[in-house]
Amino acid sequence: MSDFTLSKSIAERFAISQLWRSHKRSNQLKQIIILLILGIGAFLMIMPFEWMLATSFSRSANIAMPRVVRFFPADPSLFNYEVAITNLPLPRLYLNSFIVTAVATVGYLFFSALTGYAFAKGRFVGKSILFLIILMTLMIPFEVRMIPLYFLIKEMGLRNNLLALILPFLAGGFGVFLMRQYISTIPDDLVDAARVDGASEFTIFWRVILPLCGPPLAALAVLSALWRWNDLIWPLLAISDRNMYTVTLGLAVAGRSQGTYTGSALANAAIAIIPITIVYLLLQRYIIKGIAMTGLKG
Amino acid sequence: MRKQLRDSLIWYTLIAPTFILFAIFVAYPTIETFRLSLYREVATKQEFVGLAHYARLLGDQIFRSALLNTALLGAAFLLIVIPLGLVLASLLNNLKYAPNFFKVVYFLPQITSSVAIALIFGYVFQPNWGLLNNGLRALGVDPLPLWLADPTYSLTGSRAAATILAVYVALGYYMLVTLAGLQAIPQELYDAAVVDGANFWQAWWYITIPNLRPTFIFLIITGSIEALSRFGDLYTLGGPGGSPARSLQTIVMYLYQTAFESNDFNLASATAVLLFLIMLAVTIFNFRTLLQREFSRRD
Repeated sequence: MSDFTLSKSIAERFAISQLWRSHKRSNQLKQIIILLILGIGAFLMIMPFEWMLATSFSRSANIAMPRVVRFFPADPSLFNYEVAITNLPLPRLYLNSFIVTAVATVGYLFFSALTGYAFAKGRFVGKSILFLIILMTLMIPFEVRMIPLYFLIKEMGLRNNLLALILPFLAGGFGVFLMRQYISTIPDDLVDAARVDGASEFTIFWRVILPLCGPPLAALAVLSALWRWNDLIWPLLAISDRNMYTVTLGLAVAGRSQGTYTGSALANAAIAIIPITIVYLLLQRYIIKGIAMTGLKG
Repeated sequence: MRKQLRDSLIWYTLIAPTFILFAIFVAYPTIETFRLSLYREVATKQEFVGLAHYARLLGDQIFRSALLNTALLGAAFLLIVIPLGLVLASLLNNLKYAPNFFKVVYFLPQITSSVAIALIFGYVFQPNWGLLNNGLRALGVDPLPLWLADPTYSLTGSRAAATILAVYVALGYYMLVTLAGLQAIPQELYDAAVVDGANFWQAWWYITIPNLRPTFIFLIITGSIEALSRFGDLYTLGGPGGSPARSLQTIVMYLYQTAFESNDFNLASATAVLLFLIMLAVTIFNFRTLLQREFSRRD
């Protein structure tokens, strides 16, 4: 290799690295601009929460509000939280919301998977027409049937009973549909092998199918939990006893009745939001994945 | 045939619980809503009145304004949140650092329930000391908007405030769904565009937007249904009457008020049936106009 070709290749390499560096620099500039825009957006998203916290910890917030935005209260105190707790039996409301959400979600997952399994792997007379009925239930929004449902629950003596918030939501068309689609992709060989071994259909479902359904079940669990926890209109009808309120119902009712008491109303909101936010931060990977998988939300 | 039925039996027992629950909590109340809408209560007895409730509804100024509010709020919401979600998703798709952090932050209001957010925003929109007007004052805006205290059709009135609230709550979701759509576009398409000498905007207009079509269709169809049944956040802001001056009353709030405050369950049932028919019509319309290309291609 002559000196000339050597120096040429060095020069080439130098030029390429120059080019690459400037490309990298413009890329870094692009990254900084994107970060800046998304950062401003994130700031705007968090602001109302921060303001809620700052105001709820401010002693004077029930009397007079400052005319400047404060990110830390000038007079920090737990006063508003004490008022909020006496306004609403919040620990009780949390328990109610938790029971309703947990029981309804477990039931929803079970019935969705069981029915989805039958429609995916079963052979029975009238299968397609029965599946059509499942799909038709998807077209009937809850608001359309809630008046007779209210009378039905009243008739059953379930007003002010948490069962009223659970029973109507144990089975749902969307869950059956999603589970059927997923279980259809599980090879028939697995089911047939278990059947040859003499397992009953329910045992196959419980021991073979269910353990393979992690992803759709997780997604459905997230959806069902969000639906139940955040529902307002049905608890508003079915529950009138304050001790049976859900967190969301208590928040809506109390929020409307303490309009001018900003500090304690925002303390109520904070008590309702903070635990959910912690759960969300712990489970965010699954929650965001679940939403992306089904494309649905709470 | 008999053996077939016998083999079917085990499957019927597996699906029976779900169908029993559907019969009690879906089929029966739905049919009953339709029946109630054709009757009226006279001294604790139900009397058939045909379509009288529907005629009453269509002539009712309050119902018509609830209908208009619902349509207006829904259209404004979708027109803002879908483009904004696209912009954020595109930015996020090109971001190398901490994309997950932004996903978590933007999605947060969706988790904490629209009731809690509406409660906070009732104060955020307070004209004198609310967070928003305090911020606008710092920026030198004068006169400050009245937001929820202004029931007129204005860009700074109650309907605008309700739209800002809805966009704030839903933005993260629209961003995530659009992002999933963006990431499903094959990279080869962009490589081919670069070879053909397309610039960034051309690639965006001729590749990104057409390939996001299914995502947009999905968001428009589900978003319109959700907008038609809007209730929780607006109830928290202004009660079932949608104050101020009914400017925030939606169809479902009208339904709720008619049934559970005026105790006119028959008229409310007719409202529910109309809501159902409107949802059906909007969905069919969306399918037909948005999916026209898909249908005609198949023919």
